[in-house]
This record gives sequence, structure tokens and C-alpha cells, in this order.
Amino acid sequence: MSVMIKLSVFRHDPVGSSKPFMQAFEVPLLKPGMKLLDALNYIKWELDGTLTYRRSCGEGVCGSDGLNINGVNGLACITPIEGLKQPIHVRPLPSMQVIRDLVVDMDHFFDQYRQIKPWLQAESPLPEHERLQSPEDRARLDGSYECILCGCCTTACPSWWWNGDRFLGPAALLQANRWIVDSRDDATGERLDQVEDAFRLYRCHQIMNCMEACPKELNPTAAIGHIKRQLLSRKS
Amino acid sequence: MLASIAHRGSALILVLFVPLYLWLLHGMTGSPDHYAATLEWLHSLTGKLLLWLVGVALVYHFSNGIRFLCIDAGWAESRTMMVLSAKVVLAVAGLTAIMLAGLLL
Repeated sequence: MSVMIKLSVFRHDPVGSSKPFMQAFEVPLLKPGMKLLDALNYIKWELDGTLTYRRSCGEGVCGSDGLNINGVNGLACITPIEGLKQPIHVRPLPSMQVIRDLVVDMDHFFDQYRQIKPWLQAESPLPEHERLQSPEDRARLDGSYECILCGCCTTACPSWWWNGDRFLGPAALLQANRWIVDSRDDATGERLDQVEDAFRLYRCHQIMNCMEACPKELNPTAAIGHIKRQLLSRKS
Repeated sequence: MLASIAHRGSALILVLFVPLYLWLLHGMTGSPDHYAATLEWLHSLTGKLLLWLVGVALVYHFSNGIRFLCIDAGWAESRTMMVLSAKVVLAVAGLTAIMLAGLLL
């Protein structure tokens, strides 16, 4: 008899009349190094086909399966079952509107991402081949460009829980900083103008949940600090 | 997270201590009798507990405030240092709690 893993999974169908509830499942340990996503897939394919969740690449690149796992945000596809306290409580990302079961509405999150204009804004004439960057300038993007926009950091931030309508959140601000430090971008001033606001940027109170939650081990708190220092330096 | 919650918590304790501090000041400067009564209250278990609580809160809030200022200035803002500095600040507060308890009791 194989080892069984106990899970308690959040279930909710807002269209139906039933209230949200936690459903218990038992899944066999299929292989060494089994990930939480494997267990959810087993439930979906073998036990209950109605369980709804997002997934795509299955290797921590697409950022689809951001979930709250035993109270901590993370990606199901790269979270090993081993080491998780059982029953494993699997819930949708906190403070998000649930569409169904573990699927949440990410529209507002991506709208905030769009607000920071996450694309290159260069005014200099287009070179014949490409906009070159020194290795040193390129290295300044390390720690920012790796963000996969899974939402684990933003939905772990208490400031965003309370002021998510106006505070941009760690993910969007990490990306804002990514373009502010990009040597090829000419819109630094406008980017700083856009975030210089008591709510959009300064609602960050260095709680640092974002840093702890990030499955890619990035540091949005440091990025936000960098933006604040940029704003300060242009004033002085 | 824990360091941040403790920072807000210690701030709340310090703010709530202000009326008590004013009451103590008022008591100690009113008359010799008031002074003696206030001093006696300060030496009671409740008084010592409150002084201990405020002392720990003050040390923690001060230390973590310095930590926040350092991070604001861009020092020790790597993931490792952020976690390590939080542990150091919590350890300082823990040590203060023990030392202050020894001093007051």
C-alpha cells in the first residue's frame, strides 16, 4: 500500500448557492520529489474532475498556479509535498475574488501591471540592429526581469489587502523599478512621476511579506526602496 | 512578518504608555504624599510589569526603527540581510526582556 497524502482543498462555486468549504482528499505519493501540482492533478484526473485550478508549464515559469499553501503563498508546481505539514491546506491567493475553487480573478492585478507601462520607452533614434547595453547596465536588471507575475507577493502584502485599489503592490512596483533602472529606457522621469503618490508607492511599509512569499526568490521590498531613493535623489 | 507586526505592536504600546506616563509625572510632582504613593505603585507587580513591557517595546521599536532606516538607505537590503537583521533585532529584544526582568524583579 502506497503512502497517502492528506489534503484539504478550498472549494467554492460563486454561481451556485453553496458556501465555500474545505474538502478533504487523500492522494497516493506517486514519486519521490512529488510536487503539490501533481497531487492536484491526481485529484482532478482521478478523484474529482470538478476541481478547478490554473496550471500551465508545471515548472515555475508561467506563474499560473500561485496558491496559498499551508498559509504561505507559493507555486504549486515547484512546492515539494515532502516537508509540508499535513493535511496540506490549499487555498486560493488571499484577498482575491474567487472565480471558482482555486481560480482567482487576476484582472485588477494585471491592470496595475499595465499602469506602470511595462515596455521600453526610448526616444533616441532606432539603431540599425538593436539597442545595446553594457554588461554592467544589463546586470542591474538582475533580480527584476525574472518576475513571472504569479501574484504571490502582491497577494501576500497587507498594504495591498487594505489599499489594493490604489497601492500598486509589490509585483507592479518591482516591474516599475525594472524599467526605471533600464539604461535603454528614456522615460525614467515619467515613470517616477507616475508612482510618486501617497498610495501608489508609499503604502509600502516594509512588511516584507512580498520578499518572503516570492517563489523566484526576488526582493520587491528592495526594488521599492530603490524607487523611493530615486525619487529622493531627483528632489535634492 | 513577525518583525513588522512586533514593530507596529511596540509602537502601540509606546503610544498607550503616554497617558500613563503623564499620570505618573503628575503623581510624582503633586505632593510628597502623591510621590510616595506613585513610587509604591511603581514598585508593585503591576507597575514593574508595565515598566518591563514599555522598556522592551522601546528597545525593540528603536532597534527595528534603525533597521528600517538602514534598509531605506539601501544598506543590508539583500534577502539574506533582511531576514538576518530581523532575527538580530528580535534577539536584542529578547535579551532586553530577560535583562530587564532580572533588573526589576
